[in-house]
Amino acid sequence: MSLRGEEDPLWYKDAIVYEVPVKSFFDANNDGIGDFSGLIEKLDYLHGLGVTCLWLLPCFPSPLKDDGYDISNYTDVHPSYGTIDDFKRLLAAAHERDLKVLIELVVNHTSDQHQWFQAARVAPAGSSARNFYVWSETDQKYQDARIIFIDTEQSNWAWDPVAKAYYWHRFFNHQPDLNYDNPEVLEQILHVMDFWLEMGVDGFRLDAVPYLIEREDTNCENLPETHIILKAIRRHIDTHWPNRMLLAEANQWPADVRPYFGDGDECHMAFHFPVMPRLFMALHLEERDPIVEIMERTPSIPETCQWALFLRNHDELTLEMVTDEERDYMYLAYSADPTARLNVGIRRRLAPLMNNSRHRIELLTSVLFSLPGTPIIYYGDEIGMGDDMHLGDRNGVRTPMQWSGDRNAGFSRADPQQLFSPVISDPVYGYQAVNVESEEHDPASLLHWTRNMIRLRRLFRVFGRGTIDFLQPANRAVLAYVRRHEEDDTILCVANLARNVQPVHLDLGEFAGLVPVEILGYTEFPVIGVEPYFLTLGPYGFYWFELQHRRR
Amino acid sequence: MASTGSSSSIAVADADSARPCDAVVGIQSYNDADTIAGVVASAREGMRRHAATGCVILADGASTDRTVAVAREIAGDECPVVAVDYRRPEVDPLKLPYHGRPGRAAAMRAVLQAARDRRAKTCVMLDARLPNLRPESVVSLIEPVLRGEMDYVSAHYVRHPYEGAITKSIIYPVFRALYGARLRQPAALEFACSTSLLDHFLEQRFWDAEGAPTGIDMWLAATAVTGRYRMGEALLGVRSVAMRPVAPDLSTALGQIVGALLVDLKSRAQLWHRVRGSVPVPVVGNVDETAVPPAPDIDPEKLRESFRLGYGALRDVWASILPPRTIIELKKVADAPPERFRIHDDLWARIIYDFALGHHLKAMPHEHLLGALVPLYLGWLASFMLEPGTDDPDAAEQRIDRLGMAFETQKPYLISRWRWPERFRS
Repeated sequence: MSLRGEEDPLWYKDAIVYEVPVKSFFDANNDGIGDFSGLIEKLDYLHGLGVTCLWLLPCFPSPLKDDGYDISNYTDVHPSYGTIDDFKRLLAAAHERDLKVLIELVVNHTSDQHQWFQAARVAPAGSSARNFYVWSETDQKYQDARIIFIDTEQSNWAWDPVAKAYYWHRFFNHQPDLNYDNPEVLEQILHVMDFWLEMGVDGFRLDAVPYLIEREDTNCENLPETHIILKAIRRHIDTHWPNRMLLAEANQWPADVRPYFGDGDECHMAFHFPVMPRLFMALHLEERDPIVEIMERTPSIPETCQWALFLRNHDELTLEMVTDEERDYMYLAYSADPTARLNVGIRRRLAPLMNNSRHRIELLTSVLFSLPGTPIIYYGDEIGMGDDMHLGDRNGVRTPMQWSGDRNAGFSRADPQQLFSPVISDPVYGYQAVNVESEEHDPASLLHWTRNMIRLRRLFRVFGRGTIDFLQPANRAVLAYVRRHEEDDTILCVANLARNVQPVHLDLGEFAGLVPVEILGYTEFPVIGVEPYFLTLGPYGFYWFELQHRRR
Repeated sequence: MASTGSSSSIAVADADSARPCDAVVGIQSYNDADTIAGVVASAREGMRRHAATGCVILADGASTDRTVAVAREIAGDECPVVAVDYRRPEVDPLKLPYHGRPGRAAAMRAVLQAARDRRAKTCVMLDARLPNLRPESVVSLIEPVLRGEMDYVSAHYVRHPYEGAITKSIIYPVFRALYGARLRQPAALEFACSTSLLDHFLEQRFWDAEGAPTGIDMWLAATAVTGRYRMGEALLGVRSVAMRPVAPDLSTALGQIVGALLVDLKSRAQLWHRVRGSVPVPVVGNVDETAVPPAPDIDPEKLRESFRLGYGALRDVWASILPPRTIIELKKVADAPPERFRIHDDLWARIIYDFALGHHLKAMPHEHLLGALVPLYLGWLASFMLEPGTDDPDAAEQRIDRLGMAFETQKPYLISRWRWPERFRS
């Protein structure tokens, strides 16, 4: 337990989030599926890793046609993962270790197995029960709304033979959208939130929030009425549950995401989707422009709000928020094998995308950790886990965590055939080569490196809270920016995006007289003068410097 | 935390006694009927001389003697004694509290809360076992705060150069180098604080933490320093304390006080990584510094022998905390004759920093780690005593100042390893 101070209501600004699918992490009861008890057993590992917040993928009862994003009961847990009491134990054990817990809450839609939908199908047209969902006698309404899962869906409408009407679904056809024009829907969702907040969860990742409301002659995304709903949710949280957090999933351009923060009265956090593919693009192009351009297009947000940043997650590397040309480039650069492509993205993990290059993984992680926002680490990326493109949908990046070289990667003692997914077993990324146990024993491993970087980042609030100013050195292979927070925290970040050694002259005139101290080694560099500051960076090298005053 | 829950012998403050006042004097007591009268009288007189309104808040640990009654008898109407209740932990007979008073943190918290209730401009903490406490000492502590010049005034006692060596060799230099304030006695039991600092103290999460009973005084000082409150030290002369029934052995005392320091370092890493250099802490008060206590009965040759034995027995344990270069240097020290037996300041600073890293990285159970430090500490003390001139108070002060500077100089050694633990033991 930290000895210092009261809980900070802005805790999420300094957090390091670890995204974990319970089913993939550790199987304590050896039925082949990860569970809450298994996650509890591994909390010490996560605490030791240094992350401060867990984001659990959906754990609700579900037919699992979309990996749990098809919820059939909001106030229970999926029996494969344990019981509500197990979940409470998990919360208590996490909190004992100062770990916050976010849970996924899919508020846009339910499973078609949810009792609300089953009731709606048979309820009289026009009744409140029926109007929990969006119905139509025709499938021609809202034609301006795009289809998101273009590989599997032809329409956003599906016919229900019982209701004898079409229902609206922005995602799979077994996921009918809730109808937020019906006030009872919001009321019920608030009850659901109260249920989990009362138990002690620290926040929700609100899935697919841009799609809550539908209106004719619009693309049915980011509508003003959606923000009215979010403000109502936030008001409810602030009134009853202080220090809890809402994280919006809105896969949109930064200017379109900005309204999800409102005036600090909607979501506390939102994902910055467009920066992610541009990090990969900049690395492949060996020039900084994609990163600088998107960050400069990112509007400022209220003081109490925060961007959520990530390199990889449980979905494909989404390419929705890039231009057509950029998308083509990304496909050519990162998915020469067409089987890696899914929907509008690339379904691969970080290490394979980096061709298993430690230097490149470290470089991208250092940029992730130093851009303004809260970084999110996808489970297994801290050890360089690979993926399995032979598994359907996005299941190839959701395989069992590789704990050791033992059977089933140490994930479970069940018969291998019983596992919810085969473990990765190829020669490069297989569990015999890549696992926590071996990396724990190797001080030079990616796991040790990641752990050190997490600890290091946590020492500097400037990374989570500071401003950013990009420098514009002539060498475009070098990405350089200054982070500033309060009076004594100024960090200069310099990264070489190229595979070769690069020289760079940085205009640091405004910091003349300060001493750059390299953060990792606490090594003092020559004092900054009025002339451009010269540095040489090794291949994919990066430096973080504290700009210090001379000793008093 | 478990509580006896029994404090029926103590009357809890009534509403009327919570009236606003200038100063609250907090006294923690337990079976101190022999000494408390003098402490209360000095408190009362000190406040009278400063024309301050106030009261004594007595946090008594359910004394079985007349401590509370004596305190009340000696107090006057202008300075009433108000007893506060607090949760006292069950005493684990296997664990000896360093200060001999279970529940010290809870008692202090109760006093601070009582001071806040009274909107006191200052709260001063005193030990009930100070038979020679003078009213001037109370004035020295409270005056700078009541004048609005300081937020935290810590006691600074005159000690023989060979006394208080844990503070001199470890606590002071680490505190100075890491937190940036040259506070000579950071774990002093007596101090005064301002209203704003008092509120800040009560916001902290450490009150119920493991180690609080022994570490609380230092943690409060660290909280004041790192919170950038205005600090001061009050010269209070020689501190004579009534004997404790059972004194802790060196290993326990060192383990508890250094352990508390290392816990604090970990929780404040974000802050001390940014502190560069140090500033002196202003000293207030005026006492006869020539009245130095007599030298303690310590034989440096025995200390040196303990270090040499420790080197033989614990070398492998040290090697899991200290880098090879340090082990080699320690071997040279162990082999040296008395006249050349020296643990140089840079080496000592790196040793302490490596132990701090070992504690942070859980290189071994904390109890074992702190136990392994004992022979090294004895070696340092032997080295200090064998150095010519260190028995002179002024020379010793200058010597400790140089040691503090060495800890500042070596601070990058600690930071670079703290930030990148791969460098631990390298």
